[in-house]
Amino acid sequence: MTPTKINQFGILALVLFTLIAPWALPFIVDSFWVEIYSEMLIWSLLAASVNLLFGYVGLLSFGQALFFGMGMYGVAIGVAKLDFSFWPAFGFGIFSGTAMAAITGVFAVRLTWHYFAIITVVFSLIFYFMALSWKPLTGGDDGLPFSMPPMFSFGENIELSLTNSTIQYYFIVIMVGLCYTLMAIVMKSPLGRAFRTVKENDKRASLIGLNVYLIRLTAFICAGFIASLSGSLFALFGRYASASYMFYHVSGEAVVWAIIGGVGTLLGPIVGTSLLIILREELSHVWEHYQLLVGAIVIIVVIFAPKGLGGLWHGIVNQLCNWVNRKTDNSEDPKL
Amino acid sequence: MNPPPILEIADIERHFGGLAALDGVNVSVNSGKLTAIIGPNGAGKTTLFNVITGTLPASAGQVKFQGQDITKKAVHEINKLGLARTLQIKSVFNGMTVLENLWIAAQSRDGVFKPFQRATNSKRANETADRICEEMGLAHLANQEASNLSYGDIALLEMGLALATEPKLLLLDEPICGMGPAETEQTVQKIQDLANKIDIVIIEHDIEVVFDISEDIIVMNLGKVLARGTPNEIANNAEVRAAYLGDADA
Repeated sequence: MTPTKINQFGILALVLFTLIAPWALPFIVDSFWVEIYSEMLIWSLLAASVNLLFGYVGLLSFGQALFFGMGMYGVAIGVAKLDFSFWPAFGFGIFSGTAMAAITGVFAVRLTWHYFAIITVVFSLIFYFMALSWKPLTGGDDGLPFSMPPMFSFGENIELSLTNSTIQYYFIVIMVGLCYTLMAIVMKSPLGRAFRTVKENDKRASLIGLNVYLIRLTAFICAGFIASLSGSLFALFGRYASASYMFYHVSGEAVVWAIIGGVGTLLGPIVGTSLLIILREELSHVWEHYQLLVGAIVIIVVIFAPKGLGGLWHGIVNQLCNWVNRKTDNSEDPKL
Repeated sequence: MNPPPILEIADIERHFGGLAALDGVNVSVNSGKLTAIIGPNGAGKTTLFNVITGTLPASAGQVKFQGQDITKKAVHEINKLGLARTLQIKSVFNGMTVLENLWIAAQSRDGVFKPFQRATNSKRANETADRICEEMGLAHLANQEASNLSYGDIALLEMGLALATEPKLLLLDEPICGMGPAETEQTVQKIQDLANKIDIVIIEHDIEVVFDISEDIIVMNLGKVLARGTPNEIANNAEVRAAYLGDADA
């Protein structure tokens, strides 16, 4: 038994659960949990974008909601104002957020630590207020609703659309799954190792010939891509876009999800996001001040499991494997 | 005719506010010799290294490496041209294993912007990392996290990082500072081995070691080059004795 095998088993279980969720969840709890689970998957990508920057490159961003919001507006404006069909609108959403990340990143990644955190907040506030006041385009406070264009249509009668909840669910699963697969591939590549190297020691990284600025900018754009994909999916999921999702409060929530889930672990963001969304769904209508509990959980996790639940899991798995291996080693040893 | 010098420093100045840390340094380093820079604290030795490697911009003057002007180049560009250095305060990638440390330094030669290739498939970087791990005598620690290494081994790893970038010129900033006798011997031995293969400039406070290993000594004081010569010439230079050894009557 090795930690890698247990982790692979865990990932397999998560994938299987995700695939059968539309039938399993109504059976276990209630059918509206399928919708909530889709929402968790979408939001986990926003946490994953924080995780990519903070956990792998060492840049704490409080502005990822900007790219999420740009993704939302890209889709909504694409459909409602530019008459785009489904795929162009979806592409436009991802493109808008990623382009915004490329532009703001050029300035933001010149800074590190608290200066970086502050500039990301500033950028997201600037565009939040712009979106809020540019009512004809964005709908301001009310948001910009749109009606769902079909995904594919064959002839007159056959049409695939997200209005079908099963199609919507699997569309989200495929997109989120692709995104995590892509992240897993990049993290195992020379680029992924360069990310970690820059996080470990940026001064030394440049002395061995790594272009630290370009590596940080690349990570920032990748994270922007993930956040805008997340926002584009959320726009399709909710059939609207709103400036309120650009507010830095949303970015802050993603940071909390990422930290609780465990920064620097690939699937930590899913764990953290799911846990806190479940808490919100279960507690918010029972107890108005449930955020107090969230705060307490954050403090407990930061103090007792600084690597988050993902780190805690890895720790337990490693210990367990060591313990099991020691036991089997002993029993196989003929001298004992 | 002598071959052109590998490193030429012309009229380099570096000011920190009103203080001239480097006040018109003119010096060149020739290939094939182990060059040492000595001088009292605050003489500007490390600042000179910082200016050469691009860590600090020069206030005035020019640095040429292999005939190419590198004064305005970025740190990583200068390293890519074949100039590597170690730092006075040892600096490696603590959270990564010894092999991963060396691997990324080697991979930086081939470029790291390869998001869809598997890192473990980089044959050249794997081989270089293994070879340097062996050469530096760190093979038994290959899969240890760098943060678990002893001070002496970290110094070796840091030198290994520099070597993995395949430099033509290596700048070592007080490589044996803070080491015990055994670690000192291990490191000095390594430096002497390396000096046979690449050009080395070393900043060192330990005069015995400097006189022992280097053939060419540059003495700095107050941001200027005070003297230059063979160990014998330096030992008998009255100015050096006055400034560096601090005793005109000696």
